[in-house]
Amino acid sequence: MDHLSRRQILAAGAAAGAVGLGLSPAEAQAWPSRPVTVVCPWGAGGGTDQTARIVASILERELKQPFSVVNRTGGSGVVGHSAIATAAPDGYTIGMITVEITMMHHQGLTELNPTSYTPLALMNEDPPGVTVNASSPYKTIKELADAIKAAPAGKFKASGTGQGGIWHLALVGWLQAMGLAPNHVAWVPSNGAAPAMQDLAAGGLDLCTCSIPEARAMIDAGKARALALMSDARNPQFKDVPTLNETLGIKYSVGAWRGIAAPKGLPADIQTKLVAALKAAYDSKEFKDFMASRGFGVKFADPAGFASFMADGDQKMASAMKAAGLSKKS
Amino acid sequence: MKLSDRITGVVLALLGIAAFYGGSRLPPVPGQQVGPNVFPMVVGAGLLVVGLLIAFRIGRSFEDAAEAEIEKFGGPDHEAETYARKRRWYAFLPPALMVFYYLTSERIGFIPIATIMIAVLAFALGANRRLILPVAIVGAIVIQVMFVKLLRVPLPPGLVPMPW
Amino acid sequence: MNNFLAAFSMVFAPDVLIAMFASAIYGLIIGALPGLTATMATALLVPVTFYLSPIAAIATIIASSAMAIFSGDIPGCLMRIPGTPASAAYTDEAYRMTLKGQAETALGICLWFSALGGIVGTIALVLIAPALAEIALSFSTFEYFWLAILGLMCATLVARSSPVKALAAMLIGLLVSCIGIENPAGTPRFTFGLTDLLGGIDVIAALVGVFALAEVMRALTQKEPPEIPERKLGSILKGQIELTKKYPKQQIRGNIVGTLIGALPGAGADMAAWVSYSLSKRFSKEPEKFGTGHPEGLVEAGASNNAALAGGWIPALLFGIPGDTITAIAIGVLYMKGLNPGPTLFTEKASSMYALYLVFIIANIIMIPLGIMLIRVSKYVLKAPRSLIMPIIMVFCAVGAFGAAGNNLFAVLVVAAFGILGYVMEENGYPVAAMVLGIVMGTMVEQNFVTSLIKSDGSILPFLSRPIAAFLAFFTFLALFWPLIAWMKRYRAALSPA
Repeated sequence: MDHLSRRQILAAGAAAGAVGLGLSPAEAQAWPSRPVTVVCPWGAGGGTDQTARIVASILERELKQPFSVVNRTGGSGVVGHSAIATAAPDGYTIGMITVEITMMHHQGLTELNPTSYTPLALMNEDPPGVTVNASSPYKTIKELADAIKAAPAGKFKASGTGQGGIWHLALVGWLQAMGLAPNHVAWVPSNGAAPAMQDLAAGGLDLCTCSIPEARAMIDAGKARALALMSDARNPQFKDVPTLNETLGIKYSVGAWRGIAAPKGLPADIQTKLVAALKAAYDSKEFKDFMASRGFGVKFADPAGFASFMADGDQKMASAMKAAGLSKKS
Repeated sequence: MKLSDRITGVVLALLGIAAFYGGSRLPPVPGQQVGPNVFPMVVGAGLLVVGLLIAFRIGRSFEDAAEAEIEKFGGPDHEAETYARKRRWYAFLPPALMVFYYLTSERIGFIPIATIMIAVLAFALGANRRLILPVAIVGAIVIQVMFVKLLRVPLPPGLVPMPW
Repeated sequence: MNNFLAAFSMVFAPDVLIAMFASAIYGLIIGALPGLTATMATALLVPVTFYLSPIAAIATIIASSAMAIFSGDIPGCLMRIPGTPASAAYTDEAYRMTLKGQAETALGICLWFSALGGIVGTIALVLIAPALAEIALSFSTFEYFWLAILGLMCATLVARSSPVKALAAMLIGLLVSCIGIENPAGTPRFTFGLTDLLGGIDVIAALVGVFALAEVMRALTQKEPPEIPERKLGSILKGQIELTKKYPKQQIRGNIVGTLIGALPGAGADMAAWVSYSLSKRFSKEPEKFGTGHPEGLVEAGASNNAALAGGWIPALLFGIPGDTITAIAIGVLYMKGLNPGPTLFTEKASSMYALYLVFIIANIIMIPLGIMLIRVSKYVLKAPRSLIMPIIMVFCAVGAFGAAGNNLFAVLVVAAFGILGYVMEENGYPVAAMVLGIVMGTMVEQNFVTSLIKSDGSILPFLSRPIAAFLAFFTFLALFWPLIAWMKRYRAALSPA
């Protein structure tokens, strides 16, 4: 390399640059002409990540460009959600938004709310469950509910996610439906469902309110027992688990949902293409099989339906969080 | 950037006070006996104590002993020390280049910015001048291909999109 | 027996072997690049596993993560740039061996004892997984609290300089871990209103800053060093067999500690390496040689590191609870492939389980020849002019941290800031490795302390009354007062001859 003169190298560099410029892809080319990033606000391996990845792999096949999932984690979802909202609305960054978008702004953590996005499609919804340690004396949800009502406030400890997370709210909602104070059962914040289930099995907690699919491995291992599902209907994957309505006559349901959204201001033609591809992904056998095998619930909504679904959820969360004393907004 | 123990100790103590104060202003959370304020306050108090210990040179004997042992494996080099003192401000070039990357890479693109970074640092390190530019260009392109193609990390194309 | 034969035919299918081999090489390369970690290698493989058979999918993850953990030691050893928080514990030691011209031996230790550790960990997985899992499940937040404190105490044991400064560095790390909203109260702390800080400081970005970027910074104040004289020590493996004979106790202790800590969800390989290195120093006959390029600690930490990696699969396979970030991703893949974690995996899908064991063993065996090849190649980095290598490393720091943080440009600023911090700390005798330990363990300490108090209604009694907790508490206090006792001993020794 030593015998190359500096001028030759410069010329070569200039030529390389020129070639690069000459072949630059024209912006007018039909979307998508380059790889698309799918932002996932939660960690690799979790339920949201897996759902995002299965959707991305089908989109990749439908739209003939790589869709790569990027885990932008941290800040209890704030960081990832804001990365989706603040990206350029050119269709090359989309993301999976989750129920937390209807919660975080009530806690004063961010200004972002459901209207900060171009909603594309709702893909999934999971209801919370009630799980206890396998050696717990409470065999049915009725026994547990009676014991909770009889116990002094704070005696029972529950977990499933962090302070003010969706499963915390589920607990609060359930307690209120039984006419109890929101803090009648103490909430032990955890870094997600897996550590909470571990602590439940270690005998550190009385109950967990995470979704049944998240508790599944421990249930299968005979370390935990699912008592109820906080939803309108039973889950076909866990058909022995009754709903709160059947057992206690409580019509209470919230759910953790996941959907795909783009930054606000996405051009209409790109939106049309994406929604069509997402619908195809939702209807695909792969997606249905995958969700069924995990026990995840499936639920679809088109952009308009998704937007009103979120607006409705946002209203519910506002009052639930206020009641729980978690809202910073008065 | 060698500072006396007195200075670093005092800086740590001040950091401890700041952490303690910052922590103490955090609001408590209902239902938690130990709020978000406790941990930063404990760490802050610890830093204050440790900072003062360092400022008063407690525990220094360990360091002297360790230095003596290290010296057995190659003693201090006074010529190297003078050189280091003369060039101490050069050390801040890499972080400055990282900030430069943060500010410009999105707009200008990865390859030109990485080329400039490599070239500037190689020059500062006294590399063979004939090699600087080719290494910088080839290095930037190889890293770009590796990350974009193999690892699917989207590096900004900027003004000079690559044909691949 | 039929299951076993079925497992053989599953593993020795061409697609599985090809997938394993390719992912092994991929893992080796990713791990060897500064700023890219085993977790990142695993995460990037997930989309690929969609197209593979279940066994091939899991095999790619096992092979690539084992390789990446080993090859993460290479930049640490050659350039004092550790690839993972785990290897930060013994980077200085390995680098000093390189300075003595023993780079091949140091890397050989990392390779050989990693492979042995991996195999022992697998055997533990085969033989006593249910028992180990029971122990792991008896750990509640009280036990984890002590474990985390015990891990933190390693900072003062590992450090070569003043324990007071090690403590200071560790406290800085703990303070860094306070940043963000990732705390039990879910309250933003020290974020100064920045969304990017809400997520806290990315450990990998901080690690890259304090080690890699700081090393680049140091290079600017030092003249190009004379080429390190190479001492030809013959075959890499031969030396290792001698070391195995010389340090049998260290190796076995490393294996046991690694498997145990690995099996505890939430502890993992990072902590295993730290604990093993400090145990090795604590019980060594020649502790004064630690930190000067002495193989003993490397043997034990290396043996522990990869044993922990295998141990991490125990709670993952039995209860779907991740032992570390790698198994967290692997659990997702297991579900996706219909190999749902749980005891039924061991009974109903026994042949798949045997296949997994075989994959583990094979991965650790092919690691040896592949690793030797990589060691031979990577040595040439030492021969290249520093003035051209360092600038390339700097760019790797930027893009590696960017990628590891989920394509967040903010990580580049974190690298710059921690580069300056690490450089200034190192110049003044504050061990940066202790700070990294503080960042890694900080959240664990606080999380477990706060949740324990909530569960006990504010009483500290359960911290001491539960049997395992009491046992761990005892060791913690022993480690806590050790520097004080040592200091008093030295003080007296210094006074008496006068």
